[in-house]
Amino acid sequence: MIEIKDLHKSYRMGTNSLHVLKGINFKVEDGELVAIMGSSGSGKSTLLNILGMLDGADSGEYTLDGVPIKNLSETKAAQYRNKFLGFIFQSFNLINYKSAAENVALPLYYQKVPRKERQEKAMKYLERVGLKPWADHLPSELSGGQKQRVAIARAMAAEPKVLLADEPTGALDSKTSYEVMDLIQKINDEGNTILVVTHEEDIAHMCKRIVHLKDGVIVEDKKVEQVRAEQYV
Amino acid sequence: MFDRDVWQEIFNTLKTNKLRTFLTGFSVGWAIFILVMLLASVNGMQNGFVGQFNDDATNSIFVRTGTTAKAYGGFEAGRRVQLKNDDLEYIKQSFPKDIEYISARYYSNTIARYKEETGSYSVQATHPDHQAIEKTLVVAGRYINEADIVNKAKVAVIGRKVAEDLFKNEDALGKFVEFNGLPFRVIGIFTDDGDDNAERRIYAPISTYQRIYGNTNEIASIALTYNPNYDLTEALEFSERLEILMKRRHKIAPDDQAGLNVWNYAEAFNDISSFTAVLKGIGIGVGFLILIAGIVGIGNIMVFTIKERTKEIGVRKALGARPIQIVNLVLLESVFITAISGFVGLLFAWMILAAIGPMIETPAFSNPSVSLSVVVTATIILIIAGVLAGLLPAMKAANVKPIVALSDK
Repeated sequence: MIEIKDLHKSYRMGTNSLHVLKGINFKVEDGELVAIMGSSGSGKSTLLNILGMLDGADSGEYTLDGVPIKNLSETKAAQYRNKFLGFIFQSFNLINYKSAAENVALPLYYQKVPRKERQEKAMKYLERVGLKPWADHLPSELSGGQKQRVAIARAMAAEPKVLLADEPTGALDSKTSYEVMDLIQKINDEGNTILVVTHEEDIAHMCKRIVHLKDGVIVEDKKVEQVRAEQYV
Repeated sequence: MFDRDVWQEIFNTLKTNKLRTFLTGFSVGWAIFILVMLLASVNGMQNGFVGQFNDDATNSIFVRTGTTAKAYGGFEAGRRVQLKNDDLEYIKQSFPKDIEYISARYYSNTIARYKEETGSYSVQATHPDHQAIEKTLVVAGRYINEADIVNKAKVAVIGRKVAEDLFKNEDALGKFVEFNGLPFRVIGIFTDDGDDNAERRIYAPISTYQRIYGNTNEIASIALTYNPNYDLTEALEFSERLEILMKRRHKIAPDDQAGLNVWNYAEAFNDISSFTAVLKGIGIGVGFLILIAGIVGIGNIMVFTIKERTKEIGVRKALGARPIQIVNLVLLESVFITAISGFVGLLFAWMILAAIGPMIETPAFSNPSVSLSVVVTATIILIIAGVLAGLLPAMKAANVKPIVALSDK
């Protein structure tokens, strides 16, 4: 599904250049649930941004579902993002003047799905995250866990190949964190490929594979026994 | 463009920033208001000027003579030039295609008497064509006709004031009035909305006057109108040809305006037109400058809005919004504010003009109003202005890097 070869990325900070990713080689198969771990500054968010086509790499290869991701125009990148990727952010990033259902329908809007179909699909995914009764609520009327579940529904609405979650539990207490992870696990059980960036050990162990990043290189890449979040809920 | 989601977003931003939207919109509305008012004022001035000239046909030319100021063709300066009947015939035959109406004028004064009433009036002895040239409005009876000229009939067309003075409450038509002791039959009464003095005038057949008062073939001046299809250049070119011909005929130096003068209304009209055109230009210029201030205001607000919404734009881009969709969103919002506020300004200006415009009626300023074309132009300007105001901010928005927008955790 995802294949990365010798990926480099540096940021220019004034006259200094900060080498963030120093040759990442990495492969994700269909249906995997991968945790990317690392301390702050290890480059994990940068890696996720490049995977999410939100940022470009300096060198190296990146193939997503057999499509080489290179030198994309803004428009092309937007199309690929819409088609291939679903994003889940730490701060949810819901649009605050749109109801839950409208937020979920937004990626479908950019896919030019007709309005009625959009609404139906949005309701379907809200039901899957258990928030159908809150469909007409604004984000400000939802709790943190609910917001993240709306964000997950939104990420899934466009039926992407890969879900990218950047610290999805970072802003949540542990109980809601587990609820969210439970949902992510269930989505993964259905065969969706998911990448989760986290710095929390317990969250990482709820994935099936952990990739450790340190100073811009992968120091450890191991399969783990998945801890089901269900038991904590 | 008629996407519900787009409008929902636009209304949301406007709703959350009511005061800001109002203040920016006000600057554009005010600018359009001033622009329309300025144009209407210029229009009012133009109406006023044109009204001043309405008395005469606007395509008239007058040929007058005087005493030569320069020696020319063997003649000394100071020679009196006299037009004669054959000058009229000569012009008629020389420019058959150029001339619409032509009439000679012979001026005289007369003591008119009817029963006990007498009065002193100026008499213009003319040809029948003169009615069209002077736009004389005959309200009763008729004007002088060809038969009167041929028969040298003692008939007169008198002004409304003359009729009031002499005939009081009697019907003047068909009555005989004495001009310097000779009986003239009143065949018509005319009015003139130019002024009262014009109505204290008497028209009579020129042939009659030439015979009675001097038995000459002399005429004082020639009035004519040119082909109404002529534009200004053609009209000026024609009056120039006429002038050259008449000066040659009377052996007057080509640049001697005292000896013979051809006065073309079109020229005076042209002066007024260019004067009002300049005023209009200034009006448009000032209006535009004010409008630019308004546009900059809207652009400023859009930049601000986008800064506030950077994160939202980032999210949208992460969800697959293409740059063009972001540009559209911002442009539409900008055009929307500009157009709505501009229309309000336009409407206000239009209502004020509709209410007070028709009441303003002075010689130099009357009925200030705007035409449909001005309104249409203003609308187009507004939309362009909206696009201009939104363009830079929109491009800025489209260039928002999703990563930068989302990084503020």
